[in-house]
Amino acid sequence: MSVLRPFKACDMFKFNNINLDIWTETYGIGFYLNYLARWPDLCCVQEAPSGRMMGYVIGKAEGSSTEWHGHVTALTVAPEYRRLSLARKMMNLLEMVSDEIYKGFFVDLYVRCANTVAIEMYEGLGYSVYRRVREYYGSLGIGRGGRDEEDAFDMRKPLSRDPGRRSVRSNGRDMIVSAHDVS
Amino acid sequence: MSSAALERQIRPIYDALDTGSNKSAIVDCNKLLKKHPKNELIKSLKALALVRSQKVEESLVLCDEILAAKPTNDAVLTAMMHVLRGLGRHKDTVTMFEEAYKQQPSNEELGAQTFFANVRAGQWKSAQQVATRMYKQFQEDRYLYWSIMGTVLQAEEASTPPAMRTLLYKLAHRLITSSPTPSYLSADRFYLHLSILRELELFDEAHKLIESEVGGNICSTSLSCNELRREIWRLRGLTKEEGDRAKKLIVEKKDRNWLEFLSVLDTTFISKGESAEHVKETQELFTQIAEQDGQKDRSGLLGLLELERRARENGVSFDSSRLVTLMEQYFDKIGDKACCFEDLKPYLTLEGEELTNWTAFLDAIPSSFTTLNELRRLINSYKMVRYNIPQSDLTIEAETSRIQLYTKKYFEALPIGADLPVTELQPADDLALLAGSAYITVWKLTNEERYLFEAVSLLEYVLTKSKQSFLTRLLLIRIYRLLGAPALALEHYRAMHVKQVQHDTLSHFILSRVSMFSLAPIGDITFATECLETTQIYLSNSQETSDFIVRAFTSEKYSQIPEFIEFEQRLENSLQRDIVKMEHVRMRLGHEPISSDIIDMELIELKFLYDRTHHDNRDFNILVNYQPRISEGLNEQTLLFGKGEGLSWLRAFLRLYIRAFQQGSDLDDMVEEKLLIGDRPKHVVEQPPLKERLRKNASDNAAESAQQLTSDELAFVSFADELANWLEPYHDYARPPPAVVLAEAAKQTVLKTGHPLKGVEIPPQNGTNGSHKKDDEPPVVIEPTEAIVKFFDNAKARYNEVKDNASPIDVLHVAALAQEAFLLFNVETLRFKTASVVKANKLGGLVSSFKAIRINAISVLKEISADLVRRSESEGTSESRKTFVDACTKLITSELDHDFVLNIAKRVSDSRKKVLEGIGKGMGKICSSYSH
Ligand SMILES: CC(C)(COP(=O)(O)OP(=O)(O)OC[C@H]1O[C@@H](n2cnc3c(N)ncnc32)[C@H](O)[C@@H]1OP(=O)(O)O)[C@@H](O)C(=O)NCCC(=O)NCCS
Repeated sequence: MSVLRPFKACDMFKFNNINLDIWTETYGIGFYLNYLARWPDLCCVQEAPSGRMMGYVIGKAEGSSTEWHGHVTALTVAPEYRRLSLARKMMNLLEMVSDEIYKGFFVDLYVRCANTVAIEMYEGLGYSVYRRVREYYGSLGIGRGGRDEEDAFDMRKPLSRDPGRRSVRSNGRDMIVSAHDVS
Repeated sequence: MSSAALERQIRPIYDALDTGSNKSAIVDCNKLLKKHPKNELIKSLKALALVRSQKVEESLVLCDEILAAKPTNDAVLTAMMHVLRGLGRHKDTVTMFEEAYKQQPSNEELGAQTFFANVRAGQWKSAQQVATRMYKQFQEDRYLYWSIMGTVLQAEEASTPPAMRTLLYKLAHRLITSSPTPSYLSADRFYLHLSILRELELFDEAHKLIESEVGGNICSTSLSCNELRREIWRLRGLTKEEGDRAKKLIVEKKDRNWLEFLSVLDTTFISKGESAEHVKETQELFTQIAEQDGQKDRSGLLGLLELERRARENGVSFDSSRLVTLMEQYFDKIGDKACCFEDLKPYLTLEGEELTNWTAFLDAIPSSFTTLNELRRLINSYKMVRYNIPQSDLTIEAETSRIQLYTKKYFEALPIGADLPVTELQPADDLALLAGSAYITVWKLTNEERYLFEAVSLLEYVLTKSKQSFLTRLLLIRIYRLLGAPALALEHYRAMHVKQVQHDTLSHFILSRVSMFSLAPIGDITFATECLETTQIYLSNSQETSDFIVRAFTSEKYSQIPEFIEFEQRLENSLQRDIVKMEHVRMRLGHEPISSDIIDMELIELKFLYDRTHHDNRDFNILVNYQPRISEGLNEQTLLFGKGEGLSWLRAFLRLYIRAFQQGSDLDDMVEEKLLIGDRPKHVVEQPPLKERLRKNASDNAAESAQQLTSDELAFVSFADELANWLEPYHDYARPPPAVVLAEAAKQTVLKTGHPLKGVEIPPQNGTNGSHKKDDEPPVVIEPTEAIVKFFDNAKARYNEVKDNASPIDVLHVAALAQEAFLLFNVETLRFKTASVVKANKLGGLVSSFKAIRINAISVLKEISADLVRRSESEGTSESRKTFVDACTKLITSELDHDFVLNIAKRVSDSRKKVLEGIGKGMGKICSSYSH
């Protein structure tokens, strides 16, 4: 029970209940405007009937030839609206658009190795680790995570254009690359 | 020298500019200019380096020289674009590109740059004309679409009259139908097409497009197009069709977008006579969905509730117990989700028997728990019970026992989240926030601050368990301010890492009325700096957002362009922005010596703010609200003095400061017009001169002002008014004539830059060197009114009235305003400090009236200052800590122990001491700085 609608520039005035959460970064306005100016169909919001924002996803399409794919840049749901399948629905939309409009081969995303909730969720949605990227993130400053806090998993899920599942592999967790090897 | 060699020499200049080494860029430019004195690129790079090192006047000279030569070279144009942007001269950028494009009409890149320059300046009409020209010349479809978008934006401008608006939309329609390729080739062109049809109400045509196969496909994958489609169908009255379509999506595609459910609900009630039957059908549909989805999705269940609510509204509900039954059912299924309370809120407003039954149901929810889900249920039931508490049960005793209950449950609930990582929020937090809310109510009822002491102790404890709980921090920020402990509020605010656009939406938590806590007079500019930090986002907005509007044009994302423009406008004209500006000015006057430079500078800035159409982007919803529906909300309850600043507050303060600065300044409109660099803000309607409006608007919106301003602020405002009315004629008489002011400015420019002031013609002066002869006699000196003379005595009386209030905020508020009034008095009288001015204008009588006011003001301020310092001595002591700890005895347990509370007591008391002492000493300092 939520309204699925496009992300709009003025949503930046309303996303505090989502962005004050530690896992969600607030970027400069140029970050959001850049995504909206290029891939507005890969950015959407879930909204409560009261008009309160519940979560959003921001994505893009990139890569060349068989690496052409949809990318999830940020996916987040406000703490009070978690476990309502909102993330699942937004991912569905992003996958659908990456598949039907952009005709990508897969969808991928980066997630902190320490973010087990998110990793398990993505696995549940059909994603698998493609590689581990060293020091992809800055420190969260919570200390405990060590390497897992700064390293990222690059996770992927093949789309209909990749029926042979060439864009994924089973031993991804062991494939380690450094941050400047990825774009 | 070969051009390659020259290029090699220019490279380091770019590098220097890129790394911000503007000085060395200037040196390099000067060197190269010796050999190539005519080179436009070097000149323009120098102009850029000058602008970036704040050498505006010098840069202007170069700038005009380059522009006069009408450059067409790409690199020069780009450099100049940055120069002009730095100077705020967007219109000149447009002209520059237009000139270049005129010289090279087949240069497509120049055409595009000219178009973009217009976009950046928001000049839609000429943008559209440029795009039209480009379309003719280069035959690219996108230029046609640019011109269409330009036409639409022109129509949407506030200054476009309605008839013109329609004409423009008709033009846009004609253009889009003339396109050689159909709009449905891209979702965003299609979007633009549909939005034009909607505006012109050409629904049949829109319908045809949407119903076509491609159109249908676009709407099913593009949320924006689908949003428009929905609206067009609604406008067309196709409720039934929309409902059928939604039903199909819900059933066949398992679509759970709430908008589809709303569409089904809308159709259910369209034909009055048949509603009852339709209700039954919809009921069956939603029941089936609810059963199918179980706990996975709430849409079906909530649909049933909304259906019942609407059935009642339409008089077709026949089962009086159904609503509560559905609510119970909803709670059974969804009660363990955090959002259950919010979901049910629209239905909670019950009365009589229904309320009794519902409350009985909630009271029966087990109050013990072993799992997270049971805990959530209990929390939801508490929130819902609390929502319906009647006035009769909102007593001190009842709330106190609720506090006990919530707190007890909070501690019981902590183990449930004990294993969560530190990055997670604790599920128990809400219980503490409920307790916090009840504390606020009791504090409101009793006005005893011990309840706030307890509240902060509990909430600080919550943060030790739930480090990321921003909701707890926000409430703490509010309470610390109420307690007069601003430093602690700031600590929590900083811990939230507010950044970027959040500065606009959240800074009100810390900066609202912050000048009353400012220690700037004794050199502590923490809060002034905090104000400046928030302004960064407005700068980014004015420098960056238009680039993304341009980008949206290049990537042809037409759906985004109006949204970006709205965003830019709302941030540019943000209410919070100008409230913060106002606070900063108030603090600045207490920090820097009042001089004609400050007066001139602030005058120019503030003047432009007065005519803005402000947007309120402040986020107040972020603060929880678990207060009963018959009570004031938590936000209103915890505002300082119960009054939030709004437009009336801002206008009242802007008005008084602009008036004072206008009087104190030599820059009248005519002078300013000549000296100001950069574009003026666009005005939608012509208005009488600002000065006149400021004088008249004294009492506009008195009711609203009374709501937003405290009685002490109102007294200050009327003091300012009286003062300005009294002194206006003398300022007007004594102010040097424009010719003299301009001559002086010209002289300064020559001294600084070695060049005369550009574009300013100095009108001939009578007499020489400022000692101008006046034709008319000076205005008769009259005595100040009672309101002026008595202001400081009244302030003292007010101070004594609130002196014994427990929280220091009342004395701080009165003291800060008395000090502010004194500073304003110094702004207003600065001109008459110069003996020669007084003598030349024969205003000796006036000056002696000032003396009496000043002496009285200083004696009042000194008294207040001494009392504040005395009061500060009783803070930060073991007694003050004991009072605090004693208030919290009921709260102290083995977990939240005595030492924990003592530490908070110390922090609160120390923080109060600091602000009382600082403000007190600051006032003393101001008294001696302006002793005569
Ligand atoms: C990760 C996140 C987006 C999940 O959002 P959500 O709307 O709660 O997720 P959903 O309800 O759609 O969950 C889908 C599935 O993921 C799994 N899942 C999600 N959260 C889980 C949790 N806390 N514990 C266990 N499983 C979880 C479940 O299998 C769930 O399905 P189910 O509820 O039917 O069992 C949300 O927790 C979040 O915003 N976190 C902070 C930001 C973040 O980490 N983003 C990802 C970085 S790339």
